[in-house]
Amino acid sequence: MNTLAYIIYLLLTYWITVHVGMIFFRNGRRYILPLLHDDERLTDFINRALLTGYYLLNLGYAAIMIRTWRTISTWQELVASISTMTGRIMLTLAVIHFFNMAMILLISRRHHTANNKNSDI
Amino acid sequence: MNTSLNLLAYFIYLPVVIILTWYVAHTLFRNSKAFMLDIFHGKADIALSTNKLFETGFYLLNLGFALLIMEIVADIYNSRSMLEILSYKIGGFSIYLGIMLFFNLYLFFRGRRISRERARLAEALKKIPGNDEIK
Repeated sequence: MNTLAYIIYLLLTYWITVHVGMIFFRNGRRYILPLLHDDERLTDFINRALLTGYYLLNLGYAAIMIRTWRTISTWQELVASISTMTGRIMLTLAVIHFFNMAMILLISRRHHTANNKNSDI
Repeated sequence: MNTSLNLLAYFIYLPVVIILTWYVAHTLFRNSKAFMLDIFHGKADIALSTNKLFETGFYLLNLGFALLIMEIVADIYNSRSMLEILSYKIGGFSIYLGIMLFFNLYLFFRGRRISRERARLAEALKKIPGNDEIK
């Protein structure tokens, strides 16, 4: 029963990770572009590197969490444990996501004030 | 009868919370585009990006929480206790969702107020004579 749970869990988390990753990849580009002085090639490269890092982090984390799985013997436990583990992964993703957005905001604010100082001189 | 009703309760709970979250997120983020355009002074691409990122975060947070609290520890053997436990769970989740909704609305209003104040400040600075080099 555990093997079935792992297969469903991995499919679910991999799907969520890839889907969310593509959304971040597409929408995050416009934030990085002004930070790198509108350098398109560097932006695309850094964006791709960030996406790869994100995939590695999340998929690795999802795979590691399998170790903590308890033994399953009924369908009811199967559904319950899959949903608990997936929920935990999604919450972690959400926390990382909001942390990243706060970081981008901080960096762009610092960037903005630095630019204004330069223009004043 | 040996089978408990937990599995049935899960299969009722899951669609309800997913549809509830989808409905709330859909309504909130369809209407928040106006706020975002206001906050970013009409720059459509970055406003829509921010909107999409917030929407994804909202889904992740709330669906993750819904899945995390799904498990019913005790075995259920009659439909009455199943209904009671389910209504407690779904009711609690809706209250949580409502609080998140109002928190998001508060953030949007706050962002709009700050960006308006900043625009007004910039206007006022421009009007001071001899202060042209500071933008």
